[in-house]
Amino acid sequence: MRHNISVRVNDRLYEEEVEPRLLLPYFLRENVGLTGTHVGCVIGECGACTILLDGKLVKSCLLFAAQADGKSILTVEGLGQNGSLHPVQEAFIEHYGLQCGYCTPGMVLAAYYLLSKNPDPSEAEIRVGLAGNLCMCTGYVQIVEAVKAAANRMRQA
Amino acid sequence: MVNFEYFEPKTLEEACALLEEHGDEARVIAGGTALIIMMRQHLLNPRVVISLANIPDFDSVRFDARDGLRIGAGARHRDIELAKPVREHYPLLHETFSKVAQPRIRNMGTIGGNLCQGDPLTDPGASLITLDAEITLLHSDGKRVLPLEQFFLDYYQTDLRPGEILTEIHAPPPSPGMRWAHIKFLPRSQEDFATVGVALTLRVKGGLCEDIRLALNSVAPTIVRARKAEGILRGRRPEEHLVREMAEVAATETDPMDDNRGSAEYKRELVRVLVRRAVDQALKRSGSGEQTGRDASTRL
Repeated sequence: MRHNISVRVNDRLYEEEVEPRLLLPYFLRENVGLTGTHVGCVIGECGACTILLDGKLVKSCLLFAAQADGKSILTVEGLGQNGSLHPVQEAFIEHYGLQCGYCTPGMVLAAYYLLSKNPDPSEAEIRVGLAGNLCMCTGYVQIVEAVKAAANRMRQA
Repeated sequence: MVNFEYFEPKTLEEACALLEEHGDEARVIAGGTALIIMMRQHLLNPRVVISLANIPDFDSVRFDARDGLRIGAGARHRDIELAKPVREHYPLLHETFSKVAQPRIRNMGTIGGNLCQGDPLTDPGASLITLDAEITLLHSDGKRVLPLEQFFLDYYQTDLRPGEILTEIHAPPPSPGMRWAHIKFLPRSQEDFATVGVALTLRVKGGLCEDIRLALNSVAPTIVRARKAEGILRGRRPEEHLVREMAEVAATETDPMDDNRGSAEYKRELVRVLVRRAVDQALKRSGSGEQTGRDASTRL
């Protein structure tokens, strides 16, 4: 019971034979070798495994790798360009939008997706946009500050 | 998770044939947001998983002024929320779908999967019932069309029969002057299930209440239509004492459970309060297809 898939991850094509039961975050971490996609609750609650699948924000733990066949994925590793960080990542660092860092890749991708749809969100819109990502450390205040700062920076760029 | 064989049929006929062939050992996967969790928890251990992802046009959302709205069962909550005909002609559905979980789950879960799971805590079924929605169930022997209201049988149990696939949801054209309300009470965070959900449609003609439909989620083993409560207002002036009586009757039509979203008693009390509020909100609407006032959410 194996299944052939071909998935584009951060603009590189990966062709692999996988077990149908393999969940997508494990495929990304173990087959592709990109460990930025974190495995948290694995029941679709915490958001640590968030990725973009064909441009849509999703929780990868609720997908089999087989379901990603023929699709394009963006993980946190694909955000920066030419060795420099994405403005969202820079803003998270500058505003201390993290402590332990476990939720951070998911938070960063959720923020990136939010700002791509809504470049000038209100604080309430930021909070709704990040709903579905749990952070046990920060109390969210600095994460929201970071997203606001990233929005400002990206609008000026 | 127990391993399984994975199929991606390219037509519904092929999918039905696979279901027929593998019987009880097979499960259909659409978005996966419910099935994968159940498989991880070993509540379901299918030997065969049949994905509907490659069925062409299975996620379409189409509107025709005479026929109404036809939603392919593979349409994701987000597709329905943002579809132009839904925003223009079915503001109740736009609002309801915009409140389901959060965008990440709406980008994944499908309406067909949602209805077939038969989870009484979810929102779409109640609103679709108040619009007199029907569903189409396809089997290799033929298809049947069923009012959605009759589909929910018990806790996580629907009238989906062996070998059947839910293919389409149909809502009739919006009736002129329809007023509506949707209230989802959330005790905790945005993505939680409702403690109580209330969907309501009605029309007022010559001061009298017509075509009233009230459906509730999270208050019984299934999503329920509160017919006795509807009957209190039907054909009468929506005066305050009748609205109170209606809310009281709605509370008796429910059978909530104690859980971490509230006690059964608390949920009944919420039904009393929220049904009254829903009637007030519906009566305050102009009765034409108006903006929902939640445009911000659609930009997320």
